[in-house]
Amino acid sequence: MSRVGERPGFGAYLADLWRRRRFVLTLAEGDFVSRHQNNYLGMLWAILNPMLLGGAYYLIFGVLLETTRGTDNYVLFLTSGLFTFIFIAGALTSGSRSIIGRMGLVRSLRFPRIILPSAVTAAELLQALPAFAIIVVIALLTGETPSLEWLLFPVAVLIIGMMFLGVVMILARVLHAVRDTGNLMPLLVRMLRYVSGVFFSIESYASGIWSVILAYQPVAISLTMVRETLLGSMPLRWETWAVSGGWAVLFLVVGTVVFWRGEADYGRA
Amino acid sequence: MAARERGTPTVVASHLGLTYRVFGAGSGYREQDEHAWWQRAFGRSTRAVGVREVEAVKDLSFVARHGEAICLVGRNGSGKSTLLRTVAGLMPPTTGSLWIAGEPRLLGVNAVLMSKLTGARNVMIGCQALGMSAAQARAKFDDIVEFSGIGDFIDLPMNSYSSGMAARLRFAISTASVPDILVVDEALATGDAEFKARATERIAEIREQAGTVFLVAHNAATMKEIARRAMWMEKGELIMDGPVDEVVDAYSAKFGRKARAQRAAKAADEAADEAS
Repeated sequence: MSRVGERPGFGAYLADLWRRRRFVLTLAEGDFVSRHQNNYLGMLWAILNPMLLGGAYYLIFGVLLETTRGTDNYVLFLTSGLFTFIFIAGALTSGSRSIIGRMGLVRSLRFPRIILPSAVTAAELLQALPAFAIIVVIALLTGETPSLEWLLFPVAVLIIGMMFLGVVMILARVLHAVRDTGNLMPLLVRMLRYVSGVFFSIESYASGIWSVILAYQPVAISLTMVRETLLGSMPLRWETWAVSGGWAVLFLVVGTVVFWRGEADYGRA
Repeated sequence: MAARERGTPTVVASHLGLTYRVFGAGSGYREQDEHAWWQRAFGRSTRAVGVREVEAVKDLSFVARHGEAICLVGRNGSGKSTLLRTVAGLMPPTTGSLWIAGEPRLLGVNAVLMSKLTGARNVMIGCQALGMSAAQARAKFDDIVEFSGIGDFIDLPMNSYSSGMAARLRFAISTASVPDILVVDEALATGDAEFKARATERIAEIREQAGTVFLVAHNAATMKEIARRAMWMEKGELIMDGPVDEVVDAYSAKFGRKARAQRAAKAADEAADEAS
């Protein structure tokens, strides 16, 4: 017999997640479909949305405010950063609500709850795939020459996915414990948008210790990593990849443990 | 899966207590006029916003065995659903302890799957959430659709279903494989007569295969047909536990239609006596 309300061992928990990995995909697909089925254009919006947003940002920052200092191919610089940020912002916003937004499911079926943040992050990745494809098209159109480094682009996306899956698991538990923190999420996402060099090059605007902190925080380093794979003017630097890899491992491990420790509580409240 | 030997315990509750948090538990409209708007807006003391703890189940102990169907009776709000959610392993006990053998499964009116998605997707999600592989879920798919009897609606989003149709689909998914412990929380109430008959049959099958069934229903005939044992809960406490006929009769004697009519008649008599 097993005791209700006792969390499983860490190893057993991960094994259970691995056994049900197909379920994560099924849920992610469902999430993706349900998001687009209420529009006439349906999944076309997964492509239209980032393109329209990219156009708007280009008009505001590239043409009107001219934050193009220190960037070579500004169109690619902007879109690669922006589309990657949209993925990150989406994962943070819906991932943090992955438990409290699905209480119906949590209260009616028994499965390892870690599946929920994982599925939501996977759904955001699915949702972002068209945008990532557009980045490659824009790179070609703006005169970048394809090189072997481009093969690192999907690797960078994967590292970013792992990193923010970890962050999302921490946030999902915090939001479940203290719902009020949900009100701070939009603020957090907006702050990150402006300090992470989405539409300007951090090095050209900040200096000294601030420049280092700003450039190596998880979101900014993620954008830099993506840009290094595609922009000819930004060569690969080992620091970028070491730091983002470090963030990814750190958040994934801490996130999984933090989420697992709350496993027994997710049904309550 | 645990060995299903008739008579061995499947659920053991020992001094079980369940408390849950309710958000937005305000004092409502009743006291609004007594406070100025700034007090209502800023003070948690007015409890216009806030969290309240509700003690749904108090110090409950019982043992359930393989092959047993147990019916819970009690008025609305007596803690039946909360208890069943815990038996289904979905809500952790606050005090005391609850032990279960095998895999429990809850079937409730509130057990929403994902209402924006089609029935077909929900079948896949539901089956996989219950631990089946994608291949097993596909293999069971036709059976589930057939049993639910919702036909072509399977390709429409679940929010277009009537409550009866949704209940049938949920029941079909939850019983696609025989669970060790099946918890049925008023899930039969919304179905039509034909569905109730099929569901009752399936519950009997599950009991035959030595699963344990917990059931909340408000119809004495349904309860007596499905269960042999009943537990009567009142304000979170277990006040009677025994053969279904005795418990249900005792319950009806206190709260049933006849009892109400008798009380009303007695009150009317007294009023008439006073008047004369």
